[in-house]
Amino acid sequence: MDLMLNKDQAAVQEAIEAIALDFSSSPSDFHGFALVSPELDKVLLENGFFEIATIPELGPVSAAVTVERLARLPYTAETALSMMLSHVLGEVERPIAVVDGLRPGRFVREAKTVIVVDDDRIGLCHPGPSEVEDRPDALYAYPMANLVSLDGVYWLSDAERDRIKTWLRIALANEMAGLLQGAIDATVAHLSIRKQFGRPLGAFQALRHRLAECTVLSEGVRWLAVKAAWSGDAGDAALAAYHAQDAATRVIYDVHQMSGAMGMTLEMDLHLWTYRMKALLSELGGRGGQAQAVGQHVFGV
Amino acid sequence: MDFSWTEQQLKFRERVKSFIAANLPENWEEIAHGPGSSEQTEFAKTFCGRLADEGLLVPHWPVEWGGEAADPWKAFILAEEMWKVGEPRGGQYMNVNWIGPILMKFGSQAQQRTYIPPMGRGESLWCQGFSEPEAGSDLASLRTKAELEEDGYRINGQKIWTSYAGDADTCFLLARTGSGKSGISIFLVPMDTVGITVRQIPSIIGEGDIHEVFFDDVVVPESARLGEEGQAWEIIGAVLSLERVGIPRFALARATLSRAIDLLKQSGRFTPSVIEQATRAKAACEAACLFSYRIIDQRAKQIPTGAEASVGRYSTVNCERLVAEFVVEHLPESLCGDYPMLLAHHQRGIVAGIASGAAEIQLNNIATQYLELPREPR
Repeated sequence: MDLMLNKDQAAVQEAIEAIALDFSSSPSDFHGFALVSPELDKVLLENGFFEIATIPELGPVSAAVTVERLARLPYTAETALSMMLSHVLGEVERPIAVVDGLRPGRFVREAKTVIVVDDDRIGLCHPGPSEVEDRPDALYAYPMANLVSLDGVYWLSDAERDRIKTWLRIALANEMAGLLQGAIDATVAHLSIRKQFGRPLGAFQALRHRLAECTVLSEGVRWLAVKAAWSGDAGDAALAAYHAQDAATRVIYDVHQMSGAMGMTLEMDLHLWTYRMKALLSELGGRGGQAQAVGQHVFGV
Repeated sequence: MDFSWTEQQLKFRERVKSFIAANLPENWEEIAHGPGSSEQTEFAKTFCGRLADEGLLVPHWPVEWGGEAADPWKAFILAEEMWKVGEPRGGQYMNVNWIGPILMKFGSQAQQRTYIPPMGRGESLWCQGFSEPEAGSDLASLRTKAELEEDGYRINGQKIWTSYAGDADTCFLLARTGSGKSGISIFLVPMDTVGITVRQIPSIIGEGDIHEVFFDDVVVPESARLGEEGQAWEIIGAVLSLERVGIPRFALARATLSRAIDLLKQSGRFTPSVIEQATRAKAACEAACLFSYRIIDQRAKQIPTGAEASVGRYSTVNCERLVAEFVVEHLPESLCGDYPMLLAHHQRGIVAGIASGAAEIQLNNIATQYLELPREPR
């Protein structure tokens, strides 16, 4: 067992840290929800980050670490599915989106490939502009849209379905790990600066303990998610996705509570992480869906 | 990054499993109730003696003390398999994990010769004289006093919540030789020394686990002091870092959950809502496991561990709690004794957040060292 990144993986991590620096603070005049950065997408594309899962020395672990790091940024781009499913889907065009039937999903308007989950089947489609309906008023901090019909979907075999579902769960868990950390980092900054009763909020044990508990959950998601990326195991993936959605349910509430009215504003950026997490909460059947998969793959039900 | 075991590690795990299968008696589950019972302590002496004969008690110790200088993974695999079946080493796990290694580092030659060989043979049981009525998490406020006189140190005071004290041979005792943190010293005190009185405290953990220990004019020679006067705080720091991740409690929690699921499946009660609760507990167990592995990995690479140990400890408390709650909710008969191992887990699980540094102390460590939040005023 070696739980440190290998030399090549560490080099990728260093490279992504350098890129992340340029996207680490939001523009002061941005007070919206979906802070999408085409520039970030472009830099990642130019530097080959969307293929790292297919490179043997790097593999899905490197992709997972990269997805997690990028999800901590205030800016977003379609990274998780492109990075974590490239070695499963083969030659499909990105960006990639996932939707549950006709429900709204992230990056559906931008997507060249949409993975459609519909009850027990999975299919792909490549919708044209008229086959997508935008949801500009969505509160989620991603651009949201839905398919207008499932007519163009070609359904995959059961084996392909199972494999794709596993990697969708792994992508979700790793992205959630970064979002959790991003929200915690923003809250740490607030609690360190904001003073009440003559001292920083972060010096009150009630809040220190609460945020420390959030951190334990967030770190747990990170490790389960990276382990699932390493193993590609359906059980590991379902456990990681369950823990991600379960932890997020609690952490979203806690970080907003600790950030008080400041966290309600669109100036603090906290919503960029929490309302991305909220978009991920319902994906792939939510906690019930992941638990069903854990029942099947881990508990042998 | 690689989460797989080496061939050697897999073989070693199989060896430990085979040893356990061959050496646990049929009535082990009846013995494995509260962790400090005399019955279990007595069994542990036989069991640990056999482990020692097989070279499986202290493989991570240096060769000169009967070990094979094995890497931390080996000791952890051993501990995982032990905890999986309810820790048949009983209180001797402390000798193996930290008392032996601490004596090797800080003990005098005479102390090492007296105490380490019996530990390595699986013959001795220690207790930890730390907590006092007025000093639990705030350990530095302890009052038990050791005064140097002509014939040695005269010790007066009281310890409380002391595990294994009823059957222990020796106490790893913290006492005050001066003021403040730098005025605390450690003494290795035989429990049959005149002036020591032990009183068992009935508890929900089970028979024989926690005690009060009274020291009334107990006299020990100067040679009973471990290290220098006032060195206790430094030594305790080393003890806690070994103790915090030395116990793979998640292994018993995971085995308990698995046992509970089997029972529920057999009776047709493993329904979707129960599966979801089991999933939550399972995810917590696996997270706690990975945190422990991360620390062992750091230890194997001689990378110092910081607040990661506290993250691991708190995560373990979470998993213990979720598994115990799952069992109580879905197999309530286990607390009536229908399934002794589930009861054994319950009794061990409830102390997870209290023993060796309360869960809230871990949260403080995480807040200060990991999140770098401002400190609380004192």
